[in-house]
Amino acid sequence: MELKKRKGVIIALEGIDGSGKTSQAMLLRDWLSHKLDTFFTEWNSSEWVHKVIKEAKKKNMLTPSTFSLIHATDFADRYEKYILPMIKAGFIVVSDRYIYTAYARDTARGNDLNWVKNVYSFAVKPNLTFYIRVPVEIALSRIKENRRFIKPSEAGDGMFPHLTPEEGFIKYQSMVMDAYDRISKEEDFIMIDGTMSPREVQTKIRERIVDLLWKEDS
Amino acid sequence: MERGLLISVDGVEGSGRTLHVEALKKWLEDMGYVVTTMGLQTSQLMSEPLSEVKRNIVFQRFTLFLAYATDLTDQAENVIRPSIKSGFIVIADGYANTLKAWALTRKLNHAWVDGVLSVLPKPDISISLISPPTVIVRRIIKKRGFLDPLTSAVDLCINEDLFHSFLRYVNKFQSNLTALTDGSGTVFRTNKTFDQTNKEIISYVEGFLKR
Ligand SMILES: Nc1ncnc2c1ncn2[C@@H]1O[C@H](COP(=O)(O)OP(=O)(O)OP(=O)(O)O)[C@@H](O)[C@H]1O
Ligand SMILES: Nc1ncnc2c1ncn2[C@@H]1O[C@H](COP(=O)(O)OP(=O)(O)OP(=O)(O)O)[C@@H](O)[C@H]1O
Ligand SMILES: [Mg+2]
Ligand SMILES: [Mg+2]
Repeated sequence: MELKKRKGVIIALEGIDGSGKTSQAMLLRDWLSHKLDTFFTEWNSSEWVHKVIKEAKKKNMLTPSTFSLIHATDFADRYEKYILPMIKAGFIVVSDRYIYTAYARDTARGNDLNWVKNVYSFAVKPNLTFYIRVPVEIALSRIKENRRFIKPSEAGDGMFPHLTPEEGFIKYQSMVMDAYDRISKEEDFIMIDGTMSPREVQTKIRERIVDLLWKEDS
Repeated sequence: MERGLLISVDGVEGSGRTLHVEALKKWLEDMGYVVTTMGLQTSQLMSEPLSEVKRNIVFQRFTLFLAYATDLTDQAENVIRPSIKSGFIVIADGYANTLKAWALTRKLNHAWVDGVLSVLPKPDISISLISPPTVIVRRIIKKRGFLDPLTSAVDLCINEDLFHSFLRYVNKFQSNLTALTDGSGTVFRTNKTFDQTNKEIISYVEGFLKR
């Protein structure tokens, strides 16, 4: 099959914690990087902002607005430094979480959705956004099986001080999932049932990418 | 208890912001007010990280803008709102209009910039300081000893010497700032003696306080 002529492409993976995004992104990157120039990026990983966020969370310094803005700064740093130049240079960018993570998390914290959308409106929309959807209880059981503790960020970072980590996880992830579900249609999410085996999920994802990147033989 | 108020003092580097903020603070304190100061790049959250990385990200305008927006918002929540609630006067040495003028001069979208900063409290009194670009440059060189490319809009300087490019930058910055101040604040020219400008500012603030 012949590669379609096009500029760079950005593929986003979204979903609650434990839904399988990173596992899928890694499989995708390994598969794509044999054929194309591929770049992988994940949420909250700017070389300098990441440290500031970590420190601020430890000291409980963030309010809903600064939580949102500092994550936007992290995103902007990766966007201007890596994502945009890569897209322009023709790379395939695989993004483990993208702006919709902010839409979902920031509104769960009480920020106005239209305000959040405006903050991130400088970023291009992904060519494909895979929304890996898994019931909150299943995500929780995966996390418990594999590392046995819940990170504060997975339970709302202090939003629910009276809840146990597990209760906090259920409550916070449900809010995030509701937010994803609400925007799913208008943002053209490709919804994928994340309770399938990793292999089945990957097959679904690749089908869509093949459609996007390669010409049908006709 | 009476609600306090927010006075913003905006202007490009070298416009005399810090000096006039200090003088205004002293005058207000002599009048019996409790005064808190804050300003661009003085938040607990962002000021250190910004001074560390600023030089590496001069060309990343969205990142810089959002980092400064985070910086101001952190201070809005931790300094401005609580101080105003306690009846204090807050003076900002560089606030939303300085950041907006910075952004507009770099062609960031006006509606976007306004939207991001809409979470900040509006100043009760808005003061902008402007001076002829050559005066600004001379002040900066006097104070720092040289024109530092990385704080002199080198990101806008292409095929031109830094000095002339910076003059044009200050010119554009100040015309943006003047437009932003129009209708909601007052512009003061600081190409007079410090005492003259100081008197003008104080009588303006005094007029507001008497209302
Ligand atoms: N389809 C799947 N079926 C069963 N378990 C899975 C599946 N996909 C991933 N897992 C397991 O679930 C756990 C969470 O997966 P992964 O780290 O990929 O999720 P994630 O969405 O990236 O989570 P986070 O948002 O916390 O980074 C891992 O231990 C992984 O091995
Ligand atoms: N009318 C005036 N108003 C303010 N400053 C003046 C005036 N005339 C001369 N100056 C000189 O200009 C300089 C302004 O410096 P100042 O640090 O207050 O500016 P600034 O805008 O806060 O700059 P920076 O951003 O570098 O702190 C001072 O050295 C001051 O003596
Ligand atoms: Mg992950
Ligand atoms: Mg100053």
